[in-house]
Amino acid sequence: MSEAAATHNDLTAHRDLTAPPGTATDQVESSPAGVSWQKLMMWIFIVSDGLLFAGLLCGYGFVRIASPIWPDRGEIFHLPMIGFMTFLLISSSATMASAVAAAGRADRGATVRFLLFTILGGLGFMGMQAYEWSSLIQEGARLDSNPWGVPAFSGAFFLITGFHGSHVLSGIVLLAITAWRMAAGKSTAAGIELAGLYWHFVDLVWVFIFTLFYLI
Amino acid sequence: MANATHGTGYRLYWITWIFLLMVTMVMLAMEYVSWPQWMLLTVLLVAMLVKASVISGYFMHLRFERPALIVIVAASLVLVGLVLFVLLAIDAIRVHQLSAV
Repeated sequence: MSEAAATHNDLTAHRDLTAPPGTATDQVESSPAGVSWQKLMMWIFIVSDGLLFAGLLCGYGFVRIASPIWPDRGEIFHLPMIGFMTFLLISSSATMASAVAAAGRADRGATVRFLLFTILGGLGFMGMQAYEWSSLIQEGARLDSNPWGVPAFSGAFFLITGFHGSHVLSGIVLLAITAWRMAAGKSTAAGIELAGLYWHFVDLVWVFIFTLFYLI
Repeated sequence: MANATHGTGYRLYWITWIFLLMVTMVMLAMEYVSWPQWMLLTVLLVAMLVKASVISGYFMHLRFERPALIVIVAASLVLVGLVLFVLLAIDAIRVHQLSAV
């Protein structure tokens, strides 16, 4: 009996020696940026994904400045609806932040509830974007042509909002999985925080698209 | 103590939410004022950058992270984004002037 306990102790001691420096709690602080490695990697993913959108928006900026004329976006876009889509996305970001806070104090019910509100906001946004796309396509807008005179206008529009919309879709899938795992007690507060960072990033990109494409 | 900090955490998010909605309303209102174009552009771009920093600072907690992380994110995104745009914009303006002649 005592021999078994001693062996067990030896095994743990051995494991501690061969494990990388730091225990599970130390690993949270082990990356050079002062956050867990998972969180640092999420930030690096967000930065590289952000550079994708920076490239797309800069390309759009080039075409927009170089083009002698540009369609009157006020006649093409339905701004009140775009404003409501922005409202939905900002609100879903607020509920996401609340979900992270609820997960931080181990309130599983509130976390799942806030996550579901966030998913609802994302679904509403996607539904309205699908409506916007289909009405523009009905009016004759294509990737390489449109009735408003500048072919690059609809090309840039579908490319940029399409890339953003696919990010919203991935975010909804990610949040649905996270909410389901949270309800089953399989997810941690750190996992919710990582999903939250991605969702806020989707909101962040929309701020730039909303301003640079719809308002300017 | 833990409850108190989390309570203010919620409140901070709702304040952030209301602030972001107010800035969005101001941006949409720009559609209905007849200011000179450079003023509209300035207001919209400043509002956009304010919204972006509020979202990353408070919703994404970047404000409360270590400077190293803030520098990693800001240096790559702001610098590369700006340099890319400025380099492209110079060329775009030249193309615009050529096609206008």
